[in-house]
Amino acid sequence: MTDIYDPLDFEFEEPIRISPSVPKKKKKVIGLDDLLEDHEKEQKRIKERKSKRTKIKNTSDSEEDEDATEIELSKCVDKCQKEMDQINDDDEMPLWGIQVFGYQRTLPALEYPEPRSCVTLQSIMNHKLNSLVELKIEKGEPFLEGLLVDGWLLKLIFTLGRVEKSISTWIFNLMLYSSKERLRKAACEFWCSILSPEIEVNSADIKIDWLPSYSDLKRALDIYGFLLDSPSKLSSDIDMIHADSDTAGPPQNIRCWIKYVAVCCQVRNTHLIFSTSEAEDLLGVIISLFLDRQLLGLFMILQACVHSVISFFKDEEWHDSCERVAKSIGWRLPRDINCLRTVESISGSNGQSKHLRSAVAKQFLIRCLNEKECDAEDILRMLISINVKDKNCDLSKMYIYLGLAENWLLFDPTLKDNVAIHEMWGICLRNCSCGIAITDLRSYASKVRSKASYLLQGMANK
Amino acid sequence: MEENTMAILDTSGFNSSKISHHLNDDRLAFLEAVRCASLLSDDGSAPTSIMFEAVFQILRDEDSLDLIMGSYQLLVDLNKRFPPLYLSKTEKSESSSSSNVISQLFVVQEAWSPFTFGLDSYNEKAVANTHSGGSVDALSFHALIQEVVKVARERKSEAVEIKFLRNMLLLQYLIIILEGDFLPRNCAYQENKDWTVLRKSLLNMLLGSRKIIYKSLIEDCLCIMCDISNDQTELSSEMSHNTRHSGDLLQEIDTAVVLALPEVEKSTCTVLKKLVLMIMELDLSRSMADLQGFTTRADGVRTPAVDIILEELIYNSNILSSFLQVFDEPKWKLKIIVEYFHKYIPKSSIRTRRSIGQFKDETFDGVLKCLSNSNSTKSIVKKLSTDVAQLLLAHAFQAYLSLSLQHLPGGVSELKEDVKGSSLLEVCKNVISAFTSLRKEDEETEIFPFGKEALFTAATILSTKS
Repeated sequence: MTDIYDPLDFEFEEPIRISPSVPKKKKKVIGLDDLLEDHEKEQKRIKERKSKRTKIKNTSDSEEDEDATEIELSKCVDKCQKEMDQINDDDEMPLWGIQVFGYQRTLPALEYPEPRSCVTLQSIMNHKLNSLVELKIEKGEPFLEGLLVDGWLLKLIFTLGRVEKSISTWIFNLMLYSSKERLRKAACEFWCSILSPEIEVNSADIKIDWLPSYSDLKRALDIYGFLLDSPSKLSSDIDMIHADSDTAGPPQNIRCWIKYVAVCCQVRNTHLIFSTSEAEDLLGVIISLFLDRQLLGLFMILQACVHSVISFFKDEEWHDSCERVAKSIGWRLPRDINCLRTVESISGSNGQSKHLRSAVAKQFLIRCLNEKECDAEDILRMLISINVKDKNCDLSKMYIYLGLAENWLLFDPTLKDNVAIHEMWGICLRNCSCGIAITDLRSYASKVRSKASYLLQGMANK
Repeated sequence: MEENTMAILDTSGFNSSKISHHLNDDRLAFLEAVRCASLLSDDGSAPTSIMFEAVFQILRDEDSLDLIMGSYQLLVDLNKRFPPLYLSKTEKSESSSSSNVISQLFVVQEAWSPFTFGLDSYNEKAVANTHSGGSVDALSFHALIQEVVKVARERKSEAVEIKFLRNMLLLQYLIIILEGDFLPRNCAYQENKDWTVLRKSLLNMLLGSRKIIYKSLIEDCLCIMCDISNDQTELSSEMSHNTRHSGDLLQEIDTAVVLALPEVEKSTCTVLKKLVLMIMELDLSRSMADLQGFTTRADGVRTPAVDIILEELIYNSNILSSFLQVFDEPKWKLKIIVEYFHKYIPKSSIRTRRSIGQFKDETFDGVLKCLSNSNSTKSIVKKLSTDVAQLLLAHAFQAYLSLSLQHLPGGVSELKEDVKGSSLLEVCKNVISAFTSLRKEDEETEIFPFGKEALFTAATILSTKS
């Protein structure tokens, strides 16, 4: 077990270990239980001893006394236990995550290109060569796959300068629907290279007869079992579905799908594959993928993909597109802890990405407060009006609001120099940091308080 | 202003030392806070070393996929935003000659680095003590690589472990750091020929460390590259059967790891390829400095990586095929193959193999000529076996094709040397005739699928281009 925490040899001598805190906490609770148990055992022993003694002494009044203290003690321990539980509740945050992919449909069968009709492959029919290569036509399919996997097809196409339709559809389908990793990988590399060649080939020189469109990509997503597509299926329903069928979740091909979308968006100058509204939709789809825990390991390529799709938009398009994407995300995704995850998934690595982060946060905030349209001051007024001292106030919601508002206000370019807004935000934060006492045992109380004071400190330092 | 931002950072630094006693979501919040303070705000400054250390520690120690991904991404982003050293081009006003743009190397003094290379010959103990801080030295770097080798080699389905994934990401991050340090230094060296710049590079210090056996480090890198690319297919298909059972959290994490593994393995492979290439480039620069007499005894001696790789390929022939498949950087690939051939081509035996930069007529063309001559083919096949000769020939042709496709902007480039000589069509013809003569020597052997594909490609290019 220990070597799980010890990736490297030299650490073995290291005296100080950062022990995982979860077991520690548990130990505390268990310790209390143990204490109670020990205590009871002890009491029993004392009682037995005493009773023995009393039998000898024949006096009974001390036994009653003993019982009374025992009850009092156990009461005290119970109370402590309750308080401990309450404090512990505080740490238990619901985990983010929704089911984004449901039942996966059968992947369509693959069609191989017919060598006879395809100029690139015609030399398969060349008899002189065949005597050396010993290629029979019925063995054509594995041979074609070999050409693709070993990278020859790509070299051939770069040399010839043209991709025929039968080849490009075949490889596109391999990429999205093949169950073999080596084929998927090679197919994905093939498409990425012909769209945006890494080596300095003049990509305009390559003529691509057929380019997959937006609808081809959406069809694939549908087959993978993507659930969040139609706005009618509200996320609350989806949340509860627990898939136990064998075909739940996206197939491995989802990686290729994500990478392909990214490349398509990068090459807008040479190949216009998506319209602006299609790109908007794809951006919403990709951001929703961040909420599926099954895709957690693809975090890096998802972020790269969001970055590419954002860079697809021209500066003059971005403002409107960004608002539309934010609105659709606000409608599409659940309004709970997942909001924060969604906002934090947008990396904010450049101005456009920050804008999107802010816009999405604002839309979530508006949805959470159940308002249709309202301006910045309205939102802040509503936040200020929340009384955190009220016992019935849901502090977990307040925690989410704070996170959303932080992201919204920090990156909204129009609010940057708006003094009134910043003052209101300050009031809201002071409400939370001063309104909640340090002894407040409600769940989330300490989280809200420390978050608010952290943000206040940040404001004061600016 | 700067002090104020530092004050915020310091408080979060304070948080970070406390945070290890809290739960995972506190660590996530910490990562997010660092991201906000340093990357997202317009005037953000680099995190302090304590904070960097804390983030790095999360990547090294955590078992939660969430934290591993978050900390890795954060570290990579931070490195991009706050590179510890960079080149900047400045116009030199005085010089009126042709090249008046010189690049200057800027080293950020207080920048945090995951590496510490102490002077290993001196007080070993003192160095060992500082390790508790959690930085990586040559020994632990090699240990990390060996750990990845171990899992990559004995991979069964129990390899589906977060630890394997984490080690690969950690390795990737470390190599990214090495790269960010080496490339600008090598660039600067090419311009001003100041060897000390390269001597101080992390890569050079790593390889020069006496704590590790340099040769086995290279061999381990080759191992990972070959093993990972080999078994990918079986592994991922096998695993996807095992996992899909129920929808609980543990299962979700398993599925997430299964979905992520091929991607992470692929990028690990790419990154190791980069490491090997960097080592080769370092060797080149070093031999250049050697010739000019800038190296001292303190630099020690080191066999060039190319020689170690060649030796490994010759004596460990079962990795030959997968290595050639994985190692697709055409310039070096062609170089290695041509050198391989030349060890077996009779007339070149006089040449010493230590001189890398000097094989002028050792080109692909020369090899093809040899193979078209039945006498020399016979002697090559005798020593080398037809299988290996085929494999080398086909891969050399592929590398040649890649090189010939590269659009070379300046026109004058060393790459051209490998390619020039004869035209693409001629090479295609020669490849076909070389295969034919190999076949003649040994009628029994089949041509490998890879060889057939090469032949098909050559024939297709011939038939469509002529």
